[in-house]
Amino acid sequence: MPRVDADLKLDFKDVLLRPKRSSLRSRSEVDLQRTFTFRNSKQTYNGIPVIAANMDTTGTFEMARVFSKHTLFTALHKHYSLEEWKKFAADFPECLEHVAASSGSGQADLEKLCRILEAVPLIKYICLDVANGYSEHFVEFVKTVRGKFPNHTIMAGNVVTGEMVEELILSGADIIKVGIGPGSVCTTRIKTGVGYPQLSAVIECADSAHGLKGHIISDGGCCCPGDIAKAFGAGADFVMLGGMLAGHDQSAGEVIEKNGKKVKLFYGMSSDTAMKKYVGGVAEYRASEGRTVEVPYKGDVEDTIRDILGGLRSTCTYVGAAKLKELSRRTTFIRVTQQSSHMFG
Amino acid sequence: MPRIENDIKLDFKDVLLRPKRSTLKSRSEVDLMRTFIFRNSKQSYTGIPVIAANMDTVGTFEMACSLQKFSLFTAIHKHYSVEEWKQFAKTNPQCIEHVAASSGTGQGDFERLSEILEAVPNIRYICLDVANGYSEHFVQYVKDVRAKFPSHTIMAGNVVTGEMVEELILSGADIIKVGIGPGSVCTTRKKTGVGYPQLSAVIECADAAHGLNGHIISDGGCTCPGDVAKAFGAGADFVMLGGMLAGHTQSGGETIEKDGKKFKLFYGMSSETAMKRHAGGVADYRASEGKTVQVPFKGDVEETTKDILGGLRSTCTYVGASKLKELSRRTTFIRVTQQLNTVFGEGSQQ
Repeated sequence: MPRVDADLKLDFKDVLLRPKRSSLRSRSEVDLQRTFTFRNSKQTYNGIPVIAANMDTTGTFEMARVFSKHTLFTALHKHYSLEEWKKFAADFPECLEHVAASSGSGQADLEKLCRILEAVPLIKYICLDVANGYSEHFVEFVKTVRGKFPNHTIMAGNVVTGEMVEELILSGADIIKVGIGPGSVCTTRIKTGVGYPQLSAVIECADSAHGLKGHIISDGGCCCPGDIAKAFGAGADFVMLGGMLAGHDQSAGEVIEKNGKKVKLFYGMSSDTAMKKYVGGVAEYRASEGRTVEVPYKGDVEDTIRDILGGLRSTCTYVGAAKLKELSRRTTFIRVTQQSSHMFG
Repeated sequence: MPRIENDIKLDFKDVLLRPKRSTLKSRSEVDLMRTFIFRNSKQSYTGIPVIAANMDTVGTFEMACSLQKFSLFTAIHKHYSVEEWKQFAKTNPQCIEHVAASSGTGQGDFERLSEILEAVPNIRYICLDVANGYSEHFVQYVKDVRAKFPSHTIMAGNVVTGEMVEELILSGADIIKVGIGPGSVCTTRKKTGVGYPQLSAVIECADAAHGLNGHIISDGGCTCPGDVAKAFGAGADFVMLGGMLAGHTQSGGETIEKDGKKFKLFYGMSSETAMKRHAGGVADYRASEGKTVQVPFKGDVEETTKDILGGLRSTCTYVGASKLKELSRRTTFIRVTQQLNTVFGEGSQQ
């Protein structure tokens, strides 16, 4: 018999943060910087823990240049060549502190990752990303990468439940990527029925990770700065963004003019678009698990960054957290049925 | 006093499958084929247990020819004549293993079914389909058909509760069709207020059927490959699709051009459209219990089939099931409030 878990799992849209008494006078007093020491690499991190996703449209070198100025982080996508990496490292060495090199779990991916890390020794972070972090094969892969790179900080995922977070941390990962299906261009839930509401996933996975002194990234499902605040409030150490960063100057792809409006393409990394681009099409035995959308052109990502960080500071002020670090301790979520007034659409 | 059952019954949209540890390396390793031996006919089945519904727009001969290439099944609708059946069986003998002949309980239905099964003895499956499988009349009909065709595999329905699944199995049916009102063009719930959320119906009916070595079909309510996976996860042995297979080249009906876009008509078998077409109109004493919609033309059904099977393989990989058979044992449903991030609109995959 299949089992049905009786308690309802929650998404960002199902909750709001309850305001609390605060001694802060202005949101400018709020400190968003965090410092972490990672469990397995023993390395330390300093920065505002918001990450541009390792998608080929958002995890770009151009994004990294702007993000690193604000001490934000970029998980660079895995499709850059060794030569492109070398050039980037030579031209913008100051960015390397705030980027990760990405890899899937294929043999060719691993070899390329090794060459990049050898050529650019200043890269301190590795992002190991597969659609299904539950396979034994992936656990073995994480162990292999940890064996080869004992001092690099390893991000690994994606998973959505505590027991798998623990398994990956014990296998050598430092930071676990949490999220299956919440992304704006992800269709995994539609194509497979598999998934987990993101807020509940973050609450449960953060609890598991922190018990082992590990860390997590909430990956996917943030549609607005308020969702980022909720992810941090739920216990995420880092929050990864895709759709919110799409459509900017720093996002990859051409600006297209359509009916007098400017748009940019954004797509999931398992969409038809991405699979055609990188592997020549969707294999016979699988379905595409992502879609392609046109997002309105949004200009320079600097403005979006200011909007996000301003929102986060305001959240902290409302709940009385002087530092981002205190946000989850000060968080009480209330369950709601609507987020905002739709009176004017 | 009316009684209210307090636990919430669930639809596909109310749940997601929880991922579980898996030793599978690739979704290409997943085996979707199933083999069943049926309780009453004693016949065996091997195939991928997804069925095109016995609606005149979906359960067509053309659909059967395409789906059988993937070992999928088609419940052929009941409006084909004996001559059309003979012609089909002669030109496409390879399809007959994966099709059922359908029948209602009306006057003449039984005679026509008997004629077809006599003319095409290779047909091994009978689909007995009525809107309300709870009538004593239907139970008797199932017994009569079983007596006349002792070694045909009989699908019968529709019902939504365990006690009626058991009754139909004990009356001679092998596979019970489960679903009242979940279909995309069904208006039974609106017109009558009667129905049962499909996921809970499947969980409860599968349990009842399997206890007697019977089988069930989850019929209706699947809007995407993920829903098909949830139906199997809930314990369905077969999953029947109508709306998801509508609008294809192989679907019945003409392609209509409208504002430069192509559409096909799709309608419930108790809709006004269907009743006009097959019974000369809606009888005075009844309301139509189906609607008619225009679905965008989707091309060849083979692409849709690959999309569905690819999705199912991926589901099995996520929950660690190397075979479709293991899916329901590996299934834990979690309750959710939304399926999909709609920040960029509902959109299609393109």
